Amino acid sequence: MTRDASQLRAEAENLAGFLPGVLLEARKLAAAAPGVHGRRRAGPGEAFWQFRDHRPEDGAKLVDWRRSARGDRLYVREREKEAAQTALFWIDPDAGFDWSSGGAWPTKKRRALSICLALSILFTRGGERVGVLGGTPPRTGARAVDRIAEELARARIAKPPTPASRSAVIYASDFYASPDEWRDRLRAASSAGATGALLMIADPAEEDFPFRGRTLFQEPGGAKRNALFGRAEAARDEYARRLAAHRAAMREVAAAHGFIAVLHRTDRSAAPTLSMLVSALGERR
Amino acid sequence: MTLGPLFFAAPAALFALLALPALFFLLRATPPAPQKVMFPPLRILLGIRTEEEAKRRAPLWLVLLRAFAAALAILGFARPSLAPEAIAANAGAGPTLIVIDDGWPSAPFWPAAKAAAESAIAEAERTNQSVALLRTTPDRTPPGAADLVAAADARARLSRLDPLPWRPDRAVALKRLEATPGRFARVLWIADGVNDDGGEAFAQALMARGPVTVRLPPRTARAVVGASANAEGIDASVRRAPGAGNVGAIAAETLEGRALGAIEFRFGPGAETATASIKLPPEIAARAARVRIVGETSAGAVRLLPAGSGRALVGLATETAQSQPLLSELHYVERAIQPFATPRRGSVRQLIDQNAQAVILPDASRLSPPERAALEQWIDKGGLLVRFAGPRLANDADDLLPVRLRPGSRTLGGALAWEKPQALQAFAQDSPFFGLTPPPDVAVRRQVLAEPASEREARVWARLADGAPVVTAAPRGKGLVVLFHVTAGPEWSDLALSGLYVEMLKRTLAFAGRANNAAEGADASGPYLPERLLDGFGALRAPDVDAQMIQPQAFAKAVASPATPPGLYARTGGIADSIDTVQADEAMNALALPAGVTRAGLDASRTRPMGGALLGFAIFVLAIDLLVALMLAGKLPDFRRSATAAAVFLAFALIANDAHAQPAPDPAAEMSLAYIVTGDARSDRISKAGLDALATELRNRTAVEPAATRGVDPARDDLSPYPLIYWRAPDTPTRLSDAALANLDRYMRLGGMLFLDTRDSGRAPGPQRPAAILLQGLDAPPLELVGGQHVLTKAFYLLRSFPGRFPNGRIYAETPASAAARDGVAALMVGDGDWAGAWGAEGGVDERQREMSLRFGINLVMIALTGNYKADQVHIPALLDRLGQSPDAERRR
Repeated sequence: MTRDASQLRAEAENLAGFLPGVLLEARKLAAAAPGVHGRRRAGPGEAFWQFRDHRPEDGAKLVDWRRSARGDRLYVREREKEAAQTALFWIDPDAGFDWSSGGAWPTKKRRALSICLALSILFTRGGERVGVLGGTPPRTGARAVDRIAEELARARIAKPPTPASRSAVIYASDFYASPDEWRDRLRAASSAGATGALLMIADPAEEDFPFRGRTLFQEPGGAKRNALFGRAEAARDEYARRLAAHRAAMREVAAAHGFIAVLHRTDRSAAPTLSMLVSALGERR
Repeated sequence: MTLGPLFFAAPAALFALLALPALFFLLRATPPAPQKVMFPPLRILLGIRTEEEAKRRAPLWLVLLRAFAAALAILGFARPSLAPEAIAANAGAGPTLIVIDDGWPSAPFWPAAKAAAESAIAEAERTNQSVALLRTTPDRTPPGAADLVAAADARARLSRLDPLPWRPDRAVALKRLEATPGRFARVLWIADGVNDDGGEAFAQALMARGPVTVRLPPRTARAVVGASANAEGIDASVRRAPGAGNVGAIAAETLEGRALGAIEFRFGPGAETATASIKLPPEIAARAARVRIVGETSAGAVRLLPAGSGRALVGLATETAQSQPLLSELHYVERAIQPFATPRRGSVRQLIDQNAQAVILPDASRLSPPERAALEQWIDKGGLLVRFAGPRLANDADDLLPVRLRPGSRTLGGALAWEKPQALQAFAQDSPFFGLTPPPDVAVRRQVLAEPASEREARVWARLADGAPVVTAAPRGKGLVVLFHVTAGPEWSDLALSGLYVEMLKRTLAFAGRANNAAEGADASGPYLPERLLDGFGALRAPDVDAQMIQPQAFAKAVASPATPPGLYARTGGIADSIDTVQADEAMNALALPAGVTRAGLDASRTRPMGGALLGFAIFVLAIDLLVALMLAGKLPDFRRSATAAAVFLAFALIANDAHAQPAPDPAAEMSLAYIVTGDARSDRISKAGLDALATELRNRTAVEPAATRGVDPARDDLSPYPLIYWRAPDTPTRLSDAALANLDRYMRLGGMLFLDTRDSGRAPGPQRPAAILLQGLDAPPLELVGGQHVLTKAFYLLRSFPGRFPNGRIYAETPASAAARDGVAALMVGDGDWAGAWGAEGGVDERQREMSLRFGINLVMIALTGNYKADQVHIPALLDRLGQSPDAERRR
């Protein structure tokens, strides 16, 4: 029990150390992103959309008397249509995901946090609800971002639960697990009515395989599996081929269930990935 | 243990070779350690199989390389040596006799001689034979037998052997040989190649004992057989045996070994003796203590010149009270006679006891009656007394003088005298000074006057223009008394300041030769004590405790021998003499050998130990192995590229080294401006161009004519020849090395001027300023802003500002308080105007600004060269104003 408490505390301190940085990154990203606009048509919503002439079927209740009093005609105030939706995030808790090949790049998990939080900022700005998949119920408003930031960073949900209906789910992982596992997972999600995106984050070392010489590859997280190569460079081509095949399989699984798959490298800027996600998720709704 | 031509000193180590196969399999089974890498997509990687991965063992060639290195190391530890003689050597079992000439003629090639003996001993050690070591040079013990000893003992004896400073004696060697019984399987004679009486007989006797091999040096020794100092310098003659080198050089050295001069000597074809003279001024030649053949280390190649040989010992009777050295009358006399005589100070009594050949008595000396009596007696016996006049003699004349003096002195010139100071007349033909020309500017202002009547009794050696005698002399007994009618110093005349004084004293002291008879038979009869003795290599050493004194009769006939070792001797009374290693008529012939002996050169093959080379090669192979292992492990980033880079770097380093190794001209020979090479090539080029331009202007406008501008590296070069060092801050300033900082500190302390140009005009101050970085660690003095009254504004041009490439250059200079020890001349100035850029017209400086900056540069150089004397000009306006003569005052009126 004490071990758990102290562990939690260490984690919390760790989080307090890097969470503000991630939030800041996310805010910067969100500021530069195209943003979520309204539906650009009249409908139930908060924001003013247009005044239009009163039609007989509108009835007296809809007349905007304040505007109509300024002239002879009767006007109706229309509001912009807003479709409040739920966006749920899941970040892979695997040790291999919280890993970076070199000091110059952030870990994949940290980059995933940045992108997910930036997305959630944009979503809450559009009045949508955001939450953690398998976590506390989704909320809306500016405060929701801070809340899910902490929850996202701390969450250790190894197996994402099937989401509730009509929500957009963003799975952030390196997706090195077998495509079959994800096929089951995405099938359940899409049959529940959810749609969303797979944010595939890769370290440059995983993409380029820059290793040379006699090398023993080990799995992060203390797993006992390892692979030894006399000349690592000899395995490079085969690895690249297999990786490409794996990615293609993942994309296929995603497309089959109405999800989009976006690949992001941690040595590149996050902004293009973010705008890609925004536009893709916006279209789906 | 011997294996063909190889000999192993530690054969037990070879057993380790048996372990090699085991090592081989061990190495083969152990692959090199892999580098470990965390890799999340391991699952994708898991199935991949490369062909290399299948090989879990180290590659065969790598294992072979390692095994080879191990084998090399084992062989190396077995201490092998290559001894070709081991096969050639006659297998005849029996003891070896090694005869070694250990006289001085062996000294030049002594290491080779010892090595030859060593290899013979090593050979005997291999065959387990005993060795007898027989020396041919006599020592103080009676000749005894050469014992047969084990090789190790013989080696120890050999290591203690050093050449003796006299020639081998074959008769003594023969006696030693006769005392040694038995026959020998081999006789090795390491000869010096110079014949002595009985050399052939000795060789015959050796042949009777066994087969003789004679090892002869490639070149026999040469000897200096004579050396003498004379007026022109030092003459020396060198003798050789046939087979010695034709050409060489001799050098004259002081007792401390400082070279005074050297000259080449050359033997004519077939000539045995060559002569050479080293041209030296007499005062330098007087300091020569020995003449030696350059590069030849033997006692025979050294000829000692005992101190004071050929020079008169002149006593200077000291004044009663010790006054300041520069005000002492004797100072001038001492300096004047030093080139040709050995001056010695002391009381008259001491001087006579030390057999001074002349005594100089200045005015201030008072003689006690017994001293006076001794002096008179000494003069009567042939001594030379030189006296100088002065106030005391003028008022209280005694009669130990060539003339009778009129009381008082005659003053020429001055406010109360009609007469002008007088010059000297040309010297009369009967004067010993005849031939010297008195310079017209030597004036006598005061003198003592002789009674005209007594002039006839004495000889007048010099007169004034009006005929009054200045130097008089009169014989007394067998001796001579000479009086200079002026002081020994410059109080009464300019004589002591002129070169004529030296010549006059030289000719006067030439009469001291007669006093030699007087000195003879005094108390110079003690034995000669060795002071410093020569060793076989020609070095002077303190004598052994058992060194004997030598009676004068024996000393005169002494030749170099165990009883009378060569070296410097002294006897009571300070007389120094020497015993020479080689007699002037000593013959040096080639060694004659009877037929039947085997002759061999001394430089022929000998045992070569190979252990070191093998171990070194093993380490080299292991280094290659390390590189290969790194490459296999992927730890070398890109071997080909880095190898190329390393090669290029190495080539550049070599070229740079070569460039620096070229002999540079002596920077102290000319005045030149200097700048600090910062390593920033562009900045250094600007510094050089700027200083070159400044030097050109200095030559055009001022009397300063700087030589070519030099770049200096404070970490390496001597900065002291440069009056001003310009330091232009590089683009990226860095702290200097400690050596450079220490050198700059020293330069500033010694009175140099360092000008640091930070060329960051107008930029904000802060810790990143170049000055802060460059001066870090430097013992920088306190600085202050240079204002309008600073000497920098008026050292040559009158300046109001100091524009460089930046028009508003500011300069900080060492505060006058801090520079007080250097008369207020700043040792460090720091400015920010980039003056070198302006001088060299860098980056678009207009003509007017360039002119002003050049003026500033000229002022700067003037301060560096002339100091602060223009600083007095600060007061000129005030002085003129006070005198009512300033232009302003005129205008005001």
